[in-house]
Amino acid sequence: MNYGRELLKGNTDSLLLCLISRQPTYGYQIVKELQERSNGYFQFREGTLYPALHRLERDNLITGKWQVLPNGQQRRYYYITEDGRQVLSRRLATWQDFSTAVKAVIQTETT
Amino acid sequence: MSSISHYLNRFKDSLQIDQTIRDGVAQELYTHLEEKTQDLEEQGLSREEASKIAVQSLGSPELIAEQMYETHAQGSWKEALISASPHFLVALLFTSYYWQNIVYPSIILALTVGIAVYGWRRGKPIWLFPWLGYYLLPVVVSGILLLSLPEGWGWMAALLYIPAALFVFIHIMRQTARRDWLYASLMLAPMLVTFAWFSSLGMGNEILASDWAARLQANALWITVSFVGLAGATVAFIRLKQRRHKIISLLIPPLVVLFAVVAASGGNICTWSWLLLLFSLSAFAVPLWMQAKAYQ
Repeated sequence: MNYGRELLKGNTDSLLLCLISRQPTYGYQIVKELQERSNGYFQFREGTLYPALHRLERDNLITGKWQVLPNGQQRRYYYITEDGRQVLSRRLATWQDFSTAVKAVIQTETT
Repeated sequence: MSSISHYLNRFKDSLQIDQTIRDGVAQELYTHLEEKTQDLEEQGLSREEASKIAVQSLGSPELIAEQMYETHAQGSWKEALISASPHFLVALLFTSYYWQNIVYPSIILALTVGIAVYGWRRGKPIWLFPWLGYYLLPVVVSGILLLSLPEGWGWMAALLYIPAALFVFIHIMRQTARRDWLYASLMLAPMLVTFAWFSSLGMGNEILASDWAARLQANALWITVSFVGLAGATVAFIRLKQRRHKIISLLIPPLVVLFAVVAASGGNICTWSWLLLLFSLSAFAVPLWMQAKAYQ
């Protein structure tokens, strides 16, 4: 099993919450931002993003609203909720602790 | 048909959830595909090539549909309990012999009609379907009772009543099956459990026989077990995420009823009753069979 893919799978929700917390955004924009910000590291089937977004919405961590653009096109923008901010804050803190601990162990091994 | 339309049709055909939600997700995927296609066109690709790559990047529509189903088809514990409540209420009727007092069944009937109409008008939420089953039960039973009226009158009343009842039944059945065949199974469950007991107790043709109350009372415990089993299966159905697991949960009630009927009679069931019983229980599998056909 691909370790990188498993790591991404386990952290998809946090990555999505993080992007949505910066500004309301929509599916295609999220895919582009994830690829740009990770310098192409995060490669995944784009369609799997939507079940993840709907799961977050079902859990009341984000909320989706349709917006009609001047050209008549419709987009569904996602906004983070107060619950979503709290969950993200907790997850980021956990991630920082975890990351620091992993780094400390790895550095000990390599030095 | 363009590759985008073909993709979205495959997605919609694979996703059996509330039509409003399904159309909303399809619209989201459509916007995504259109925007990606436009980006690729700006990079110099033809419309056809661009849309083909956009569709490939999105991945299997069946896989997205399956994941989306798991997100939307799982009801909350609250919804599971509301769905199972009519079964528990009927079980309570038999546990405490409340069924012998017309007041209690009447209260349950009024509650059922009210909740079924409310849920039907409020977008058919997942908890509605067991209530709908009990809502339809008196509609069907009344038709059977009409046939027991004095000679001549019964058939005349039935001629007027049955087309109207069939219209209501078929309309509700079609609307439910259009949403999801599994919900149709969930809705039919109380009816089939009731008919299974009617047939096994030999009351199919003699519902107004003088000893019917005594026969019901003698089997009250096992009838209660059947409805509690139905309630358990309903809770499992609502809470499970995967479709195949939901299908398995729907197979529990016929097995529980079969066990209860055989246990109650000590295995002493006449051939005619066996046939009626097996017919009632096999009718339970029709929507499941339709679902299997849709899968293929």
